[in-house]
Amino acid sequence: MSASKPDTLASDGAKTPIPDTPLFDRAGSHRGYEMNKMAMSLVSAANREAFAADEEAYLDRYKLSPEQRAAVLARDWQEMVRLGGNIFYILKISALDPMPVTAIGAAQVGMEHEDFLVERLGKERKNG
Amino acid sequence: MAELIGGCGTSHVPSIGIALDRGLQDTPDWKPFFDGYIPAKQWIAEQKPDIAIVIFNDHGNAFFLDRVPTLALGVAEEYQIIDEGWGKRDIPSFKGAADFSWHLADAMVEGHFDPLICREIELDHGIQVPMELFFGRPEEWPVKIVPIFVNTVQYPIPTPQRMWELGQLLRKAIESWAGEERIVVFGTGGLTHQLQGARAGFMNREADKAWLAEIGPNPEKYRDWTREQFVETFGSEGAELIMWLVMRAAMDADVRTVMSHYYAPASMTGAGMVVLENEALATEEAA
Ligand SMILES: [Fe+2]
Repeated sequence: MSASKPDTLASDGAKTPIPDTPLFDRAGSHRGYEMNKMAMSLVSAANREAFAADEEAYLDRYKLSPEQRAAVLARDWQEMVRLGGNIFYILKISALDPMPVTAIGAAQVGMEHEDFLVERLGKERKNG
Repeated sequence: MAELIGGCGTSHVPSIGIALDRGLQDTPDWKPFFDGYIPAKQWIAEQKPDIAIVIFNDHGNAFFLDRVPTLALGVAEEYQIIDEGWGKRDIPSFKGAADFSWHLADAMVEGHFDPLICREIELDHGIQVPMELFFGRPEEWPVKIVPIFVNTVQYPIPTPQRMWELGQLLRKAIESWAGEERIVVFGTGGLTHQLQGARAGFMNREADKAWLAEIGPNPEKYRDWTREQFVETFGSEGAELIMWLVMRAAMDADVRTVMSHYYAPASMTGAGMVVLENEALATEEAA
């Protein structure tokens, strides 16, 4: 096997950060653990019902920070990711009030959904 | 001896499964994507494999962050469909090629790969979607599967070079298998996508097309890349493409790209596939 270029991507992320690209490394995993755990629990239909019936009470079951709690209640995807949320887990929250993943992407970038579809993904503009 | 009939690389985007569930295949957004897979379905129907070895990643469904195996291997007789949060999809469960899986478990450990061995585990879209793209929606899947799980969610993810070596080992395991089965290997994931951060929605159509064109004839280029290059070029989630290297390394050095297809965006992802055959096999068939 030929020796490859030095690879510095590890549990503490990239030594040379890739712009605007959060990597789910040790720090993120640690920061977001309880929030991701709460989101993961929504794979159970019974838990989805409990969450839908009383979000506040459901969130009490997990040790979310006040910021994480507020971000989940507000469905603030950008904030959830900043606080250690990993898309594959927090996406399960979106199943409660379904929205396309592209809308979650747009929210993270801070763009209107339609603009995001056109400018980032290269789709044709439908409205306006 | 078992026969390696080919290697397939394909995207496994969850929205593809949702589009199928909702019958959206013929809508303008999806038709060009699904039409591109028609030749792949024909190819695999003609090839009639008995076993599909599928390299994929779980997306926070079977594994949570409490334990993250870098590599895991399914050895079950049957695999159920997992509920990812939207309800369990109405597709058949998968039959496992358990004997081959245990043979592979031995080969991996003897070859100094040490996977988590999974006797009972449910499978997510990472494996469902490739099967649906190649086999459609049968009452029962026409192949038994061998799932190989690779962690691509939490860093450190494995290196491209390690994926390559795993593919080489997989080839040896296929060759040392006493059965007579026809075997196909699937590398799944990608192409470009980034679902998180301010670069979310990053698309790199040029890099995607180059990948599809070069993974057959020029895979060393990608084998020698760093993980950073994968993330930079294909996006944080597009780095899943390292899993295609397992498939590619299981094939001969000389392969023929039988077909390829590209469409973007499928949801937020560059989507596509290649089908590779060993050049030696193609010559044999022509003779
Ligand atoms: Fe994936």
